[in-house]
Amino acid sequence: MSEDEKRSQLQSQTDTTGTDDAPLEVYQSTLPGFLGTIDTAIGRIESLFLAVGVLLMAANTVSNVIGRYIFQNSIFFSEELNRILIILITFAGISYAARQGRHIRMSAIFDALPVKPRKVLMIIIALVTAVFMFGLAWYSTQYILTQAGRGRVLPSLQIPVWMILVWVPFGFFMTGLQYALTAIKNMIEKDIYLSTNVLEGYDDEELEI
Amino acid sequence: MAVTIFSIMIVLLLLGFPMMIPLIVGAFVGFYSLFGGMGQMETMVQQMMAGIRPASLIAVPMFIFAADIMTRGQSAGRLIDLVMAFVGHLRGGLAVSTAAACTMFGAVSGSTQATVVAIGGPLRPRMQKAGYNDSFILALIVNSSDIAFLIPPSIGMIIYGVVSNTSIAELFIAGIGPGLLILVLFSIYSWIYAVRNNVPTEERATWSERAQSLKRALWPMGFPAIIIGGIYGGIFSPTEAAAACVFYAIILEMLVFKELDFKGLYDTAKSTGLITAVVFILVGAGAAFSWVISFAQIPQAILAGIGIDEMGQIGVLVVISIAFFIGCMFVDPIVVILVLVPIFAPVVNAVGLDPVLVGTIITLQVAIGSATPPFGCDIFTAIAVFKRPYWEVIRGTPPFILILFCVSALLIFFPQIALFLRDMAFAK
Repeated sequence: MSEDEKRSQLQSQTDTTGTDDAPLEVYQSTLPGFLGTIDTAIGRIESLFLAVGVLLMAANTVSNVIGRYIFQNSIFFSEELNRILIILITFAGISYAARQGRHIRMSAIFDALPVKPRKVLMIIIALVTAVFMFGLAWYSTQYILTQAGRGRVLPSLQIPVWMILVWVPFGFFMTGLQYALTAIKNMIEKDIYLSTNVLEGYDDEELEI
Repeated sequence: MAVTIFSIMIVLLLLGFPMMIPLIVGAFVGFYSLFGGMGQMETMVQQMMAGIRPASLIAVPMFIFAADIMTRGQSAGRLIDLVMAFVGHLRGGLAVSTAAACTMFGAVSGSTQATVVAIGGPLRPRMQKAGYNDSFILALIVNSSDIAFLIPPSIGMIIYGVVSNTSIAELFIAGIGPGLLILVLFSIYSWIYAVRNNVPTEERATWSERAQSLKRALWPMGFPAIIIGGIYGGIFSPTEAAAACVFYAIILEMLVFKELDFKGLYDTAKSTGLITAVVFILVGAGAAFSWVISFAQIPQAILAGIGIDEMGQIGVLVVISIAFFIGCMFVDPIVVILVLVPIFAPVVNAVGLDPVLVGTIITLQVAIGSATPPFGCDIFTAIAVFKRPYWEVIRGTPPFILILFCVSALLIFFPQIALFLRDMAFAK
């Protein structure tokens, strides 16, 4: 394992709102064959959404400030655009964070456990998380259907509200899928995995047992 | 019901579940038992979406983005050189410089982790060479970086402001006083430490060297000017200040320092997006959770249970301080703010406390708790960044935590430390 990888994995357990230079590795699915190709492609799309979402949000917010101070004119849809983008970023991001094993967790007790119980616990964690993510995917689909039935639109952009929410069930579902795959991966492989392609790496000696 | 929910959440949390899960499960159990089944789960999703909706939350990804751009660039190093040139030669000057550089970079980035990496990284070897003990260095870096919680911009304050419906601009300004007070006290402790351990002093910088470092730091000094000046002067809202910082950071690192290319900018945006998503899913889940416990009147039940009605303002502030301090010893600050702020909201209103003061005290407690064993999250940042064992990282912390406790007590009895600047800026 390279120094960088080690660092990004250590940080995966402790990182909160902080910024860090840990490089995000380009996601490469570990699923076999055709499924792997799809999974890798979805991972790429998610990372594209994240980057483009943040850049658009910055461009939008900056232009709005410039517009307000220099041209005495705000962008009338600026707030709505940011609302659309933050939903996109959040729900593309939770799945991408699950792929990279970057969700915040308090792992001090977990790390102190011996290898065997730790592996069992990781499988339980991944399964329970997957169940709740799938549940939320289902109920957010229901929520969108209700919204679509009401036919409400964003006041300035005139876009139907349900359309800006379509990422929500998708993000929950993909996150659930990632955790389900993590559980399976932990069941069939010898090592302990934080996500499908991030090996747990707090203590190297222990991993070699 | 409350006992069940909180016990489940604490167990899930300690077992090492991703932090969104305790919040989601807590909200789920709440909705399930309150509405007798799965009938209102759509409302839960609706509340999650409402949680990430406030426009002022956009300041969070924008400040993270600006800080992310800067940590990849030259801003941090230039700020360190500036501080070193002016105080490096004093007794304990290197330690004082570290504390001051952390405070300054906190004012630029708003993030503890970024500060530990950007300031602690380059300064720790220098302090080691000068003869400081490593435990002292680590404790100094971790605790000084926590001043970043108080000095604007502060992600914790933005989230507190949104959850409690308090002016984020006022919170930002109120954090400056206590932040500087802590810096002064840390500097005094560093001086005492240096005298007692006979740490040799550094060479004094000449005035031309000082002028040189000032010139080099002029560009990065624009950040605190935008944030503090812009908000203090009423020119920018916090979100606008954040946007201005992003714009400034891009110009600085891409055009002036030429440290970042388009590929770098794209990668930075991606990593910012990831951190944003991880925080925002917590904010959404926290909103659903706090909606359901408020609906079930659980905060009132808990507060009545500890007899908070007879405590008066000081008593309430003490209880809040203890609750947040203990919470942050175990859990990520954002989760603590999301869960505890709605619980204390009714009593803060009832006894007529200033929500800005409460926010400042909470932020201070969050800062202390994050650096306090057993699980304060900054300890683990330091372990990850410096690759030192747990024990070594925490051994030097007690004096710093003691200082921070004193500041907490001072803040409770002399709220003007925080409110003085706020009152001046917003003419109350």
